[in-house]
Amino acid sequence: MNTYYAANLLIYAGIDIIACLALNLQFGVSGIVNFSFIVFQAVGAYAAAILSLPPDTANGGFQHYVGGLQLPFPVPWIGGAIAGGLLAIPVGFVVLRKLRSDYQAIALLVLSVIANTVITNADKFLGGAAGLALVPPPLSDRIDPNTESYQYLYIGITAVAVVIAFAVVNRVVNSPYGRSLRAMREREIAAASIGKNPVNLKMTIFIVGGVIAGLSGAILVGFIQIWAPSVWLYPETIILFAAIIVGGRGNNIGAILGALLVPVGFEEVTRLLNSNPNIANLGPPNLISALQWVAIGLLILGFLWFRPQGVRPEPRRVFEGGPD
Amino acid sequence: MSIFVAAFGFGLVSMSVIAIAAVGFTMQFGITNMINLAYGEVMISSAYLAYYLNKAGVSIWIGMVAGALFGAVFSFLLNRVVYAPFMRKGTANLGMVIVSLAVSLMISNLLLPIVGFYSVSYQEDAGKLIRLGSIVLTRDQIIVIGIAVVVMLAIHALLTYTRLGKAMRATAANPTLARNCGIPTQRVIDSVWLITGALCGLAGVIAALNADSFAIANGSAFLITILAAAVLGGAGQPYGAMIGAVLIGLITELSAAAWSPEYKEVVAFGILVLVMVLRPQGLLAKRGALAAAG
Repeated sequence: MNTYYAANLLIYAGIDIIACLALNLQFGVSGIVNFSFIVFQAVGAYAAAILSLPPDTANGGFQHYVGGLQLPFPVPWIGGAIAGGLLAIPVGFVVLRKLRSDYQAIALLVLSVIANTVITNADKFLGGAAGLALVPPPLSDRIDPNTESYQYLYIGITAVAVVIAFAVVNRVVNSPYGRSLRAMREREIAAASIGKNPVNLKMTIFIVGGVIAGLSGAILVGFIQIWAPSVWLYPETIILFAAIIVGGRGNNIGAILGALLVPVGFEEVTRLLNSNPNIANLGPPNLISALQWVAIGLLILGFLWFRPQGVRPEPRRVFEGGPD
Repeated sequence: MSIFVAAFGFGLVSMSVIAIAAVGFTMQFGITNMINLAYGEVMISSAYLAYYLNKAGVSIWIGMVAGALFGAVFSFLLNRVVYAPFMRKGTANLGMVIVSLAVSLMISNLLLPIVGFYSVSYQEDAGKLIRLGSIVLTRDQIIVIGIAVVVMLAIHALLTYTRLGKAMRATAANPTLARNCGIPTQRVIDSVWLITGALCGLAGVIAALNADSFAIANGSAFLITILAAAVLGGAGQPYGAMIGAVLIGLITELSAAAWSPEYKEVVAFGILVLVMVLRPQGLLAKRGALAAAG
């Protein structure tokens, strides 16, 4: 158990927790089935990358991208969060206004596939299929990123981001505004009839979720220092959905639990299985990672069938003083 | 100019492939109220079945029949084993979308270790070139267009002239009322899954044949084009899906000629967005993708 391994685990856990909190706000609390969630994380990562990278003529010009502003931390992270929010505006405008909820889900799924195709083929825009490499980690001009103390520092700032994200979503969920969101999720027409504007509510949550997702992408790219279309394929969103369904839809603690159980847990189990040569060489190549996805699918079906409310169900909110 | 005439020829083939797939997809949705996101994966599974038969020396045309049968049985079982139980349990539409996406993920990843990542192609001589003015098509492409025309006429005859077709339309319009009128809706829905599954399997083999080479990742690309055609025509409307297929097939091939073939799905997606903004109910449907009133 070396420091690097522990740091890796903790930082991934932090990023998955932030992402799951945002998705829980959209899917669990407000009922928006955002199948393109990973695109918002990706746009945050790309934005943070091109804000912190030097112009693309650096390093011999082996990769091509727009931007390259070389801005100091925390500007790239803030930029990533803003990019996630900005993307949510046009997407929400097309998808959330008129469409039936299951069509919204499909439109977002299609968007996720198409966005990946476009970025892969547009090789001058954001590095194309090869993606962006050598993204400078935050504060790397002051502290050497290859030291142990830098790992602790990164864990620290990730933890601060987790706390901020948790505080924001908790504030929303437990406010009267959160009550409106739950009312809309349960019965949109009834919520509209008492003067709640579902389109406004959905748009706002879509943007707030996009901002948090963008932040999670910025933290991720600062840590792994590369970003490419192959890391944000649409099934990545399904893992996060599995986390929310397992943890408990609408419950922030459940979302954190789900993030630790599903994305982090599955990643660790696959890694452990692959590190054992006896298991890793069984069957055709990629068997274990393929079976990991099958297991995610079974997990979703199993929980939806046997325990749709998840491990930590959403608390039933009872008005004290109401009739028993 | 002649490049566009040639592209029109390819458009005819494209629209044939899309029409078979989109009619199956939209009928599943219209009659059983199930948006089956695993449709593209069932198509790919059938295409691979035909590939292995083809490799063993079986003609691709027999492989097509086998693919259709496989698609029918696969879709029927998918509904019986997964979708129908969840629906009976009262899972909402949104829940069903998540269920079908999970199923789609499972199918492609169960298939992956068996078939591998790499693209494969059928061993089939496409036959001699046939020229109609500037349009040049292979014999196989002409046959594909012929199959699509026959299938569309058969679907029209089924829905208009047979008792089963009328029962399907009644079930689509109002399942409870249909049941009260003595229509065995359970049997109707079973036959819908069999018929649309056969269309799905057939479309999978034809799409793979038309694409020259295919890989497991093509499932989601198929799905996008089908969704675009189905939504453009008005979801749940078989005739709408036919019109949608004609438009999407033509526009994507013309754009490929004018721009770049890599962006075919992007163009299909652009059409999908335009429809969702301007006419969410699609060309034919009254309600379609629109939210409930209020």
